[in-house]
Amino acid sequence: MSVLVQPLTEPNPLQDSLRFARRVPPCAIVIFGASGDLSKRKLLPSLYRLFYERRISQNFAVIGSSRTPMSDEQFRERMKESVSKFLEDAPFDEDIWKSFAQCLFYVAGDLSEEDSYERLRTKLDAVEKSHQTAGNVLFYLSTQPSYYAEAIKKLGAHQLQKGNGWRRVIIEKPFGHDLESARLLNEEIHQVLDENDVYRIDHYLGKETVQNILAFRFGNGIFEPLWNRRYVDNVQITAAESIGVEGRGGYYQEAGALRDMIQNHLSQVMATVAMEPPTIFDAANVRDERAKLLRAVRVVKPDDVSKYAVAGQYGPANVGGQNLLGFRQEPSVTSDAQTDTYAAVTFFIDNWRWADVPFYIRTGKRMPKRVTDIAIQFNAPPLGLFSQETKGGLREARPNLLVLRIQPEEGISLRFLSKSPGSGMRVRPVSMDFNYGSSFGERTPTAYETLLVDAMAGDATLYTRQDMVDASWQIVQPILDVWGNSKFDFPNYAAGTWGPKASDEMLARQGHVWRVP
Amino acid sequence: MSTTIIFPAQPEQILKGLSKLWTSLGEEEKQQGKPTVLRACAMTLIVATDEADAGFAASQTISELMHEHPARGIVLAVSKEAENDLQARVLAQCWKPFGKAQQICCEQIEITAKPGSWQNAAPTLAGLTAADLPVIFWCRHHGALKKDAIETDKAGLDAIAKLATKLIIDTSGMETAEGMDLLTKWQSEGKLVADLEWTRLTPWREPIAHIFDNPARENTIKAFHTLEIEHIEEKPPMQALYLAGWLSAPYKAKVQFRRAAGFGRGIQRVSFRSDAEAIEFERTSAECVTLWSTNGRERKYSFGEASVTALMTEELAVAGFDQAFTGALERARELAA
Repeated sequence: MSVLVQPLTEPNPLQDSLRFARRVPPCAIVIFGASGDLSKRKLLPSLYRLFYERRISQNFAVIGSSRTPMSDEQFRERMKESVSKFLEDAPFDEDIWKSFAQCLFYVAGDLSEEDSYERLRTKLDAVEKSHQTAGNVLFYLSTQPSYYAEAIKKLGAHQLQKGNGWRRVIIEKPFGHDLESARLLNEEIHQVLDENDVYRIDHYLGKETVQNILAFRFGNGIFEPLWNRRYVDNVQITAAESIGVEGRGGYYQEAGALRDMIQNHLSQVMATVAMEPPTIFDAANVRDERAKLLRAVRVVKPDDVSKYAVAGQYGPANVGGQNLLGFRQEPSVTSDAQTDTYAAVTFFIDNWRWADVPFYIRTGKRMPKRVTDIAIQFNAPPLGLFSQETKGGLREARPNLLVLRIQPEEGISLRFLSKSPGSGMRVRPVSMDFNYGSSFGERTPTAYETLLVDAMAGDATLYTRQDMVDASWQIVQPILDVWGNSKFDFPNYAAGTWGPKASDEMLARQGHVWRVP
Repeated sequence: MSTTIIFPAQPEQILKGLSKLWTSLGEEEKQQGKPTVLRACAMTLIVATDEADAGFAASQTISELMHEHPARGIVLAVSKEAENDLQARVLAQCWKPFGKAQQICCEQIEITAKPGSWQNAAPTLAGLTAADLPVIFWCRHHGALKKDAIETDKAGLDAIAKLATKLIIDTSGMETAEGMDLLTKWQSEGKLVADLEWTRLTPWREPIAHIFDNPARENTIKAFHTLEIEHIEEKPPMQALYLAGWLSAPYKAKVQFRRAAGFGRGIQRVSFRSDAEAIEFERTSAECVTLWSTNGRERKYSFGEASVTALMTEELAVAGFDQAFTGALERARELAA
């Protein structure tokens, strides 16, 4: 999957790609918002893990920056606490931590203050010498989104966007809160940075099983011939969470499910499932194809929004003997909130391959279980030889279903009809399963480990590009506009159910039903 | 879950035993009304042991390897205690991944051979390999690997080697020249080969290679003209020869071996020098290797004696031609000579 985009100047004759981890050049990583949750829970544990597994260069350093005044030593102590607490499926080794901690530094500062950037420059110069980071710097904006533009502008004003080596910037989601703000942010970024140096992170794309979609589609010869409107009846993408807003009510009330999941993660997953094969497997070609696909998605007219999109919000319910709050009863949420905690959209892709095939995407909180998967429903055979044996609805009429499971039971399964043992021709659906865990028992890297290594190596394949972000905002913007001017009769689904009735009706109009994942 | 003894150990009988085993696992599913067992197989792994290897728990090791490399495991054990010339039993190795409802099961066949029957095992094995998948032969039959092995043992080894896509041995207990000759011979026959003594070097090799990743570094590997390796054993062990072979292969640096005290077995310290810089990797405790450099760098790496399961796990993941190993072996032969 990973591609070394920038070869080092002279090949290292001691490298052994069969056994060693991929080569990553020396660099310093500057984390803005270093005392925040993301740094503590994901970034530092991922970097420690990469260090532990010798997957990053010996010449590397991390410079944390945030408003909290701290010394290097205090920062190391705090990060030690976080890493030992949030490290996933991996041991914490005191000796290795000591070596890792020598690479951690801290600069206190406010992103809006000029002095902060000068202090950062001094620190960067120092680690470039002490840790031989070759002048390469990866900036990670893990701050509130409202600081993105200002931070980048100031990096430019202090000439930190260029130096002896490469300079790259990782930007966390959300990238804008609508099409207009995303475009404005892009403009501001491009005044300082080239698009090639901007890495917009979408951690969904870093998941092993999402990357496996590409391997499955383009590494095998038998699926692509079926991967089109002649054989596919519809595609369903589900990202369900059993939890509620978990203390993030304030943020979530402003965001909603469509913005939080469909505009970014799930539209990128749809693009991965439906894109054309790239001619070469590199960042530019893969991203070209994803962007092309997103541009081919039909933009729904405002009058048709109610036909092709459904908003939902969960109400209180008793699930398994536990009383669950409705969204409007959650802390920091207003009692008349119009937020969508559930969103379902029918997309059509107007290209030669997918014309008229509906792509149904749904996501929601407080659903019966946590599951993310993609189901490709194939057409029924042309002649129903065994139709008398497959009465009972649409599912049986179209027996072939390919499910790409992203989480939690990562894998792929194919459903087909098989003859039941005994006399007579009775058939029943059976499932052929590939379980990712059973075939590759080793620990899989977390999405952040994958994406951090990619950014250091200059491989942007799994990062979203400006045109991809723009296209994905374009397809959800009309829905956001209509919903923003609507008054919903919320709540319209009970916690612990698969969403509002209107969502089922949306599929029924096309002759389809939601599958139960 | 296992079957009773199958004798004679004919492939058809053994495969029938396997089939019965899966049927009974399926019955269990039927009773529970949901899928409880998942069958997995990515290769055939044949492990041959001899009487000197009696303490080795082959079945247990295979069951541990299955977690990352699901395989049809075949243990071929030579034992004087065997009741018949060749007899077999089949069993399923199952485990439940953490948090999952389904068990994953792999097939295992245990074949016991009387010492004189080892050379007859190959035809049975030929009928038992999983179709269309690689066959890995891990030979722990030390008697058959020796230069002066008796003819029947040699013949048995050659016959099984012919079935294999990849051959794995561990030369740590062998004469260095003997091990290298055998590996070179198999390579010349077009086989993929591996030596667990080489696999043990990955925790040394990877950090050493990383030093030279930095394009800004002034002293490239070309500048290092002297290499010194310290080891516990009286004579340089195979792993020291491999490391020297690998490190000196690109530029033919001058190599010195030295005996030293330290931890465990094998290599204790590696140092290489250029006119401007010296770099040392030293085992500073049983669990740690420390890097020192005259330019002021110091870094610690976790280092433990890898278990045989860990070594095999790494080796089974290497499916193709191992260029680094081949180069190191070639140069190690020159150094040993």
